Amino acid sequence: MAGRVLHAQLHLLDRQLIDYGSGALLGKVDDVELDLTSEIPVVAALISGHQRIPAADIAEIDTAVKITPYDLNLTKGDDWVEEHIIGKIPGAGHETD
Amino acid sequence: MKRLLAVTLGILTAIGGFVDIGDLVTNALVGARFGMRLAWVVVVGVIGICLYAEMSGRVVAMSGRPVFDLIRERLGRRTGLFALVASFLVTLLTLIAEIGGVALAFELASGVNYLLWMPLAALAVWLVVWRVKFSHLETAFGLVGLLLIIFAVALWKLGPDWGELMHQATSPGPIGHESWMTYAYYAIALFGAAMTPYEVFFFSSGGVEEKWGRKDLGTERSNVFIGFPLGGLLSLAIAGCAAVLYLPAGIKVDTLGQVALPTAVAFGKLGLAIVLLGVFAATFGAALETSLSCGYTIAQYFGWQWGKFVRPRQASRFHLVIVICLALSILVLLTAVDPVKVTEYSVVFAAMALPLTYLPILIIANDPDYLGKATNGRVLNFFALIYLGLLLLASIAAIPLMILTKAGQ
Repeated sequence: MAGRVLHAQLHLLDRQLIDYGSGALLGKVDDVELDLTSEIPVVAALISGHQRIPAADIAEIDTAVKITPYDLNLTKGDDWVEEHIIGKIPGAGHETD
Repeated sequence: MKRLLAVTLGILTAIGGFVDIGDLVTNALVGARFGMRLAWVVVVGVIGICLYAEMSGRVVAMSGRPVFDLIRERLGRRTGLFALVASFLVTLLTLIAEIGGVALAFELASGVNYLLWMPLAALAVWLVVWRVKFSHLETAFGLVGLLLIIFAVALWKLGPDWGELMHQATSPGPIGHESWMTYAYYAIALFGAAMTPYEVFFFSSGGVEEKWGRKDLGTERSNVFIGFPLGGLLSLAIAGCAAVLYLPAGIKVDTLGQVALPTAVAFGKLGLAIVLLGVFAATFGAALETSLSCGYTIAQYFGWQWGKFVRPRQASRFHLVIVICLALSILVLLTAVDPVKVTEYSVVFAAMALPLTYLPILIIANDPDYLGKATNGRVLNFFALIYLGLLLLASIAAIPLMILTKAGQ
């Protein structure tokens, strides 16, 4: 990403977060954390819900933001619903394609 | 053959979206009261939905991002949330009307009260959403829905005075004791029925489900330009049948049975059987579209995993939303509210909610970041802006007209 100028509000805020490896949809960029200590402010992290995604985890910024969330769990909500409700319905794990 | 089947997404969107319970009821109702004097609204609506759906389809094919994902991106979190609430409520209201429509079709076929069919209809919709492959459901319901062409054949068989119908179509304005106010109110209702927002949520999310890419732009366009005009033609035929049969007799249409009756007059029991099958497929297809769209809009706003291209457990919140919406539909219908009345309100509210979802798509369709070289041309933007004006006008006028005319009384 070196040298690419991005408009934080236009190119980052409210964009879809996608798992770079699996393609899973992980949430939205709710906020951007800036590092103001350096000469030019740089993006230090993305905030999604209560999770902080360090800028180093960003793999690609296109029409969506692709990340490699090494030790983050961004799908807690989905996991809870899966475990307690949807996963209990027969056929929840069947292939659709 | 594969090319032919690829167009079924458009046909299903059009049959389910264009000729759903809203269009069946509104077109017949308007035909009975105004003849073909509001036919121009259907034409305006078809062109509008073609523009809107084509833009969102092109955005999906070029960027892979469906409509509601982008609505939040362009409007921001707060305004986006407002658009979400408005669109979601309209879509839920439409879902309630469609489930009621499926149940009413069964009541007409069996004589058993629709309230008993309604939970079964909702359960069947859920089972299909849960188990059936996306491409299968669009093909099956799109093709069976084509049976509604019987309205066009029936109109022919009824042997109307074509000159008189043409005369009505070319002389817009109210007749008899009708006022300009009710005329305008039903113009907005027809416009809303034609451009219901969920059609576009479903169409663009369907593009992602079908994994559209750059090379699918042709498929996307043929879907739009075959599907929606076909739906518009069926709408006109439904209005025409009502104009021929009910207008001269001064009969008001307020049941689904009256909508279907012209085909029975033309072809007897066989006609009725065919039209009921068509109505079932169209309303059931629309119930699938609206229930999926309830899930699509919410999941895409929050960024959750959605879609039928993953296993249900992988998109658990998306499926949970659909289950809750279907359960809510059952509860609302159990209060014995008239599904036809729900339909009449839903199309007007649809007209109100439209600008909020249309504008972000128009902006993105002009953004090379998303579309590369496939952005809107000048001519397209000219018409797209005219429609933005029309949508705003309809949206602002909807509520005052609803109050002033007591919802078209």
